[in-house]
Amino acid sequence: MTELVATVASYDQAAALITAGVDRLYLGEDYFGLRLPHSFKPDEIAQIVELAHQHDRKVTVAVNAIFHNDRIKKVTAYLQKMSAIGVDEVTIGDPGAIYLLQQAALDLPYIYDAADLVTSSRQINFWGKHQASGAVLAHEVPYQEMVPLSQQIDIPVEVTVYGAIAIHQSGRPLLQNYSNFVQEHLNKTDRQRGLFISAPHKEETHYSIYEDLNGTHIFANNDLDLMTDLPKLWDLGLRRWKLDGLYADPTNFVKQVAAFAQARDLLDQDQASAVQLADLDQTVRDLQPAERGLDNGFFDLDPNEVK
Amino acid sequence: MLKTAVKHPEVLAPAGTPEKLRIAIDYGADAVYIGGDAYGLRSRAGNFSFEEMAAGAKYAHERGAKVYVAANIVAHEQNLAGAGEFYRHVRDAGIDAVIVSDPSLIETAITEAPGLKVHLSTQASATNYETLNFWQHEGLERVVLAREVGIAEIKEMRQHTDVQIESFVHGAMCIGYSGRCVLSNHLSLRDANRGGCAQNCRWKYDLFDIPELGQKRELMGHNAEGKIEKFSMSAVDMSMIEHIPDLVDAGVDSLKIEGRMKTVHYVSTVANVYSTAVRSYCEDPEHYQLKQEWVDELWKVAQRELSTGFYYGTPNEDFQLFGKRRRLPHYAFVGEVLGYDDVTKQVTVQQRNNFGIGDQIEFYGPHFAHHTQIVKDLFNDENEPIERAPHAMEIVHFTCEQPVKPGDFLRAQSKL
Repeated sequence: MTELVATVASYDQAAALITAGVDRLYLGEDYFGLRLPHSFKPDEIAQIVELAHQHDRKVTVAVNAIFHNDRIKKVTAYLQKMSAIGVDEVTIGDPGAIYLLQQAALDLPYIYDAADLVTSSRQINFWGKHQASGAVLAHEVPYQEMVPLSQQIDIPVEVTVYGAIAIHQSGRPLLQNYSNFVQEHLNKTDRQRGLFISAPHKEETHYSIYEDLNGTHIFANNDLDLMTDLPKLWDLGLRRWKLDGLYADPTNFVKQVAAFAQARDLLDQDQASAVQLADLDQTVRDLQPAERGLDNGFFDLDPNEVK
Repeated sequence: MLKTAVKHPEVLAPAGTPEKLRIAIDYGADAVYIGGDAYGLRSRAGNFSFEEMAAGAKYAHERGAKVYVAANIVAHEQNLAGAGEFYRHVRDAGIDAVIVSDPSLIETAITEAPGLKVHLSTQASATNYETLNFWQHEGLERVVLAREVGIAEIKEMRQHTDVQIESFVHGAMCIGYSGRCVLSNHLSLRDANRGGCAQNCRWKYDLFDIPELGQKRELMGHNAEGKIEKFSMSAVDMSMIEHIPDLVDAGVDSLKIEGRMKTVHYVSTVANVYSTAVRSYCEDPEHYQLKQEWVDELWKVAQRELSTGFYYGTPNEDFQLFGKRRRLPHYAFVGEVLGYDDVTKQVTVQQRNNFGIGDQIEFYGPHFAHHTQIVKDLFNDENEPIERAPHAMEIVHFTCEQPVKPGDFLRAQSKL
């Protein structure tokens, strides 16, 4: 069975996402996790876990930040708390956190998530040997590389099929620094502010940028949408699909997720036609924020095109 | 309490070519790092064949120095075949360690080239002591820290781990967490983690928001000249020359200099300065004094302004390049001393850049030997008087008042 994972922005949205057909909710607190639609406190996470479990769904909590000494000290207690409230899984990208998870000997599976760095079967299997139950595949792996990869992996991978794609994380407050230099105050630099940059001589490009306590984050020109490519993923057996609503409208995101859930059901029942997927894709596009384009990222890229 | 002599950390210099390897070691580096033909992040640096690695390792070992090979790409599916063989060749060439970032390549090196030591690359962004412990537990000898780690954090790491710690002290910096940036992949179709970084962070970008639906608004401010200043993410370079005691006392085992793409002039100068400063501090910490000439020396090979990166806090706007770049005094590498005649006081020089009569030339050599003079006469290899030496690698002679040694270098301030 194909598993649909979606980010959560609120308790109410979590309930709606469950109704829309997600199998797994993905959420966390920005002290421990990266680029989340909302920063939930542990008691809020506990409520969502309870809700999810009532509906036989699972919850994954983000523990995938790059930790410095000050924060790594708090990771063990956080993992213990997540385990205690019944979280089904965590994401981890910092090997230090894996080290602590194993020392704590908790019954808490983790999937390895180091953003753009997870690019080969051998690396994925390395984390498998370190008890990872899965890994999040980098967005920069084209379909042509997924084919051999899918035959070699010992643990499942999660493929992002919808959402904003992070392409840069800086430890510096790049927007604040710029603002200070030009001595013109940028009123807020958080995600809600909706700042973006465009590349030289490409005024139509749109790279979202924001700052939070994990630094500065920049996103790809278009959001990812693999709706019409889902059959290829399904055929490869890559059947854990994540939808990232970081930059989506919270209400529309649920409807977009519902479209993907329909596609999943059709594929799992071997009934998906290209026409149906195109229709569902149109639904996703109609619900997309006006200023944010959609494309299928690196999916169709010939690996030799990347130097 | 009086500080007595302290343990001397390694000064680790970049060497893009076999020539730079020899020069870096001659100029005081305790170790150098080089690239192989595969798996390195500097696809455009002059990389080493296995034969060149073996010769380089021999040269280094005869002088008590070490050679590391950077093999720090993040591999994709098609890059995996042959990695084990590559590491065995590296090991058999006598290389002291490989610097690796991708866990799959770390595993390959450890399992398929037993005996080869492995260091974690800065590309893996190690920022806490538990991460260091993880990698030590995996069998790594050393971890190169992320450039985002501060002095106080290193001190704390040292109390929680005994894995060797290597930290960048000089050179260019990534603006983001190294490895966690694929701007180049997405903007230039060049993989930043496989040697193709197009340095898109140093571009100038327009900055916008959309206050009302469909209407984007430019948000760029102005610089001191009143001109529009575009958004940029370009880091100034790093120099920790003024803070050697902090680094040594924090427990850094290896002070790393960036720049496998840099020139002989840069490598010789920076290796010389850091090895001199580190030796000076470790021999007599109590009476150590930073010498202005060390700082001046580094500015002669600086390409950007210099800063202390993250060592003393999160970098503010002064640690980034905005607006017009301040013009730095620019020095050119003009030649290498081949010989010196004590009787005639004639120096024989192999030219590397145009120079001639009337130019002020600075000689510098290992162990910080220095001598500056104006060129008053100049002869070609046939001993005919000439005004200038414009030809690459030509052999010339001129009068040099002070004795200099073969292998010393000549530099001159470029005419602006």
